[in-house]
Amino acid sequence: MFNLIPFLINGLTLGLLFALIALGFMLIVGVMEQINLAHGSLFALGAYVAYALLGPPLPLPAGVGEWWAELPLGLRYVLALVVAPCIVGLLGILIEQGMRRTYGKDPLFGLLLTFGAAMVIEDVIRSIWGTRDYILPTPDAISGGFIALNLIWSTYRFFAAFAAFVFILLTWLLIERTRFGAVIKAGAHDSEMVRALGYDLAKLRIAVFAIGTMLAAAAGVIMAPIWGIRPHMGVDAVIPAFLIIVLGGVGSFWGAVIAGLMVGMVIGLTAAYASEWSLLSMYILLIVVVTFRARGLFGKKSILEA
Amino acid sequence: MQTPAHAGRLITPAMVGVALVLLTVPLWIAKVGLYQYIGVEILIWAIYALGFNLLLGTAGLPSFGHGAFFGIGAYAFGLTQFHVAANLWVCLLGGILAASLAGALVAGFVARRRGIYFAFLTIAFGQVFWFIAMKARNVTGGEDGLLPIARLPADFGIVSFDLTGNTALYFFVLALFLATVVALWRLTYSPFGRVLSAIRQSELRAAHLGYQVVLFKMLAFIVSAAFAGLAGSLFAMAQGGAFPEVMALHYSGYIVMMVLVGGGLVSFWGPVIGVVVFLLARDLLGAVTLTWMLWFGLLFVAVILFKPEGIAGVFQDLRRRFSRQPAAPAQPAARSTS
Repeated sequence: MFNLIPFLINGLTLGLLFALIALGFMLIVGVMEQINLAHGSLFALGAYVAYALLGPPLPLPAGVGEWWAELPLGLRYVLALVVAPCIVGLLGILIEQGMRRTYGKDPLFGLLLTFGAAMVIEDVIRSIWGTRDYILPTPDAISGGFIALNLIWSTYRFFAAFAAFVFILLTWLLIERTRFGAVIKAGAHDSEMVRALGYDLAKLRIAVFAIGTMLAAAAGVIMAPIWGIRPHMGVDAVIPAFLIIVLGGVGSFWGAVIAGLMVGMVIGLTAAYASEWSLLSMYILLIVVVTFRARGLFGKKSILEA
Repeated sequence: MQTPAHAGRLITPAMVGVALVLLTVPLWIAKVGLYQYIGVEILIWAIYALGFNLLLGTAGLPSFGHGAFFGIGAYAFGLTQFHVAANLWVCLLGGILAASLAGALVAGFVARRRGIYFAFLTIAFGQVFWFIAMKARNVTGGEDGLLPIARLPADFGIVSFDLTGNTALYFFVLALFLATVVALWRLTYSPFGRVLSAIRQSELRAAHLGYQVVLFKMLAFIVSAAFAGLAGSLFAMAQGGAFPEVMALHYSGYIVMMVLVGGGLVSFWGPVIGVVVFLLARDLLGAVTLTWMLWFGLLFVAVILFKPEGIAGVFQDLRRRFSRQPAAPAQPAARSTS
């Protein structure tokens, strides 16, 4: 019997990161009951935009480019974490403009629409950046590693897990502790009543979609140094995201967070015994849970079951 | 799907027309700048798409992991060839059986689900099979694929046809395609197919009428997986190998795209139209731009937004306009509210 603690810690950080990846997807499906399959591509786009900001100098007009390149990497990193989600959020608004035509129809149409959007975004990424891999530079303060328990740990991984924790908390505060969140949730529950009370539901939906896609991009920026930036990262992100939502139960915030941690733990622990097959464990976990609990762990009844 | 004319027949005028056109394809395909192999590929994917549409268009069950059965058919074809017998019929049977068994296994889990949850679970199962194909290197060859799969001769006892040439393979696949068309036409407009249609319109109502909806959904799933397995077997033979790529989420999505763009929701022939458009777009757009999927993706988005009935739906509208019939009431595209 060897020491399982490193695998547990790995699983925990991985779980937080998975929850972060699923967060934007969860927000949109939870309060709007819309499946955003473009989540993964937006996640990837966020990472690529961050690379454009932090990587080799941009072809900007003289002066601006140098000014940008001379900023310290730490500041540029923080700015990238703001700018990339904003750019992706604008794209999210564009997708919502198309998506709104499918509201009230079979939710399958939204899923298909965003699948098509995902294909388009992936090809846009491929035509701009090609198919090679990139590495996102990180500030010195959070890169490198340290030694504990006779093992080398990556500093960035812990920073990323902490960032994931912060994002989860902020999202929870937004939807559970603000007026905005209350109206949004009420809108998903009874849109007619919310409109009758004078709220502009169309604008609220744009806001939710924008925030959801911004969270996807932020997750992409944070995950980029861990996974590397490559065309396949979108699929690598959207699969765990949907899996975590179904596992946790559609519409349940803490269900998604717990499911994220569970998936991370299961992958972390199976990695101790069969590292190559560890990703298979999350699918089996989902199939087993959903076989016995059709709505996932904490799911409520939703229109998606129709 | 509206009931077309000749729904009760075994062979319809449309089938004869399609067969005659397809029989002449080898004569002119090279002259229009295409090549023989694309004909083979289109027919194989058309078998796959027609089988898939029994599930999506007729029964209203959106499977997003169907690539798995296509891939399993391909691997089973190769493995039967290597380890059991290098006989075309045995290998085809192996491919179909393996895909049907995998289909039955998955159907056991997903048949009680509907709509989005059905789609989610099929994604998960599709990923499981894809993952196994990628990682079980000593069986499947992993990412490199299972190689080399031979194009076995079609042996009829007295005569044996060599299928190594693309033209010969084209005619063989065409025969199987026509058999698939006849079989699925009969199935779609049989009492079995009617029940599937009823389940699409309202599962609850079908159940209350006394139909065992879970059983019907399982059967539809298995039949559809079997046709995917047949197509996969043929694809392995055409490509000379079986590769995990077709099992990935993207390819499972492509088959949905093909069927919907062609108009599988409103027409029996929709999936075939979709396959032709998809593969020709891949080759023709792919020749001028590396990002052909960008344009096809935009077309797909436009179809979903403005014309969920697809290309076949446009044809039906035009025909209605010219025959000056009063417009039929709008069909619920996938499944009406239940």
